[in-house]
Amino acid sequence: MESPGHRLVGNNSGINWSMADSEIFRPPRHISQKVPKRGGPSPADAIMRALNAADDLIGQYQGWAIDDLEDLWQKFNEIAKSGVVGPDGIEAMFDMAHEIRGQGGSFGFDLISVIGDSLCKFIDGRARLTGVELEVIKVHILAMKAVFRQQLKGDQDVLRKDLRELLEMLRAKVDLSSNFGIGDPSEP
Amino acid sequence: MNDTGYNLEGLRVLVCDDSRQIRSLITSFLNGFGVKSIDDAMDADEAFERMVEFDPDLIITDWNMPPTDGLEFVKRVRISEDSPNPYVPIIMLTGYTELYRVKQARDAGISAFLAKPLSAQALYKRVTSVVDDQRPFVRNDLYFGPCRRTNPRSNYMGGERRKA
Repeated sequence: MESPGHRLVGNNSGINWSMADSEIFRPPRHISQKVPKRGGPSPADAIMRALNAADDLIGQYQGWAIDDLEDLWQKFNEIAKSGVVGPDGIEAMFDMAHEIRGQGGSFGFDLISVIGDSLCKFIDGRARLTGVELEVIKVHILAMKAVFRQQLKGDQDVLRKDLRELLEMLRAKVDLSSNFGIGDPSEP
Repeated sequence: MNDTGYNLEGLRVLVCDDSRQIRSLITSFLNGFGVKSIDDAMDADEAFERMVEFDPDLIITDWNMPPTDGLEFVKRVRISEDSPNPYVPIIMLTGYTELYRVKQARDAGISAFLAKPLSAQALYKRVTSVVDDQRPFVRNDLYFGPCRRTNPRSNYMGGERRKA
């Protein structure tokens, strides 16, 4: 089978073909060859078993997450001491916040991911941090500490929405006052 | 218990993340799904080395893991001459969820994208979707990896309008 613009290039399977710029083909082996579609647990059972298997690990999260948060707090105090944080400090803090964002909800603390996400969004793209911007970061870290202190695990539906909105408003207010994200209209 | 789902026992999965806790969480989830053979690596270089010996059927990798990020790892697996298996399915696991990041990962040749925070449900869904993924591979001057068209029209056999 050949179609306009495509050229068969290979075996007799009828699935290898190319066009002027691209070759399209089936890989020599496929993951489905190793996975029978029956004979395993139902999706619900598989997920239940997975949660059970991870139960201990999830239970241990808070212990080491508090240590990670303390590292972030110390890093923040160290680099914010002079009142101005440059690119290296920003990158270091972003990486730490990014890790915390990914881990929080993965281990059952959804609010940690909400706050971590807000912190990443606030830090990302900034060339330097000063004054009120450092205060915003401090607020985020203290908020995460409060989540652990009060054991605010799980979905936290209403609180999560409120917190997300509140942090969004805080970021927007600071961005507006510093013109962050508002480009020079004369630039292309 | 009814054994009506995917049987993942024979699958070999390589997990790459610089966070030991996240590696352990993914391993626990995969064990729960029935996967027996799991190996892990803490960075891209180690993962590439593990590929040679372990020969995974699936790789789950983080994006942000210095010194070599997950994106570079995906490109190395796909296009490096010494890649043990350039066709291996790769799930990119990351907290980066902005659209441009998703496109970057897709253009590097990933098979699927999975956003952190991670859940057992989302991981199961991604693993089984990769098993069901019948997209062909595409090779041209700019890209090598699974066809980036993900809808059924990727089987379209009419005139080609897209260029590399």
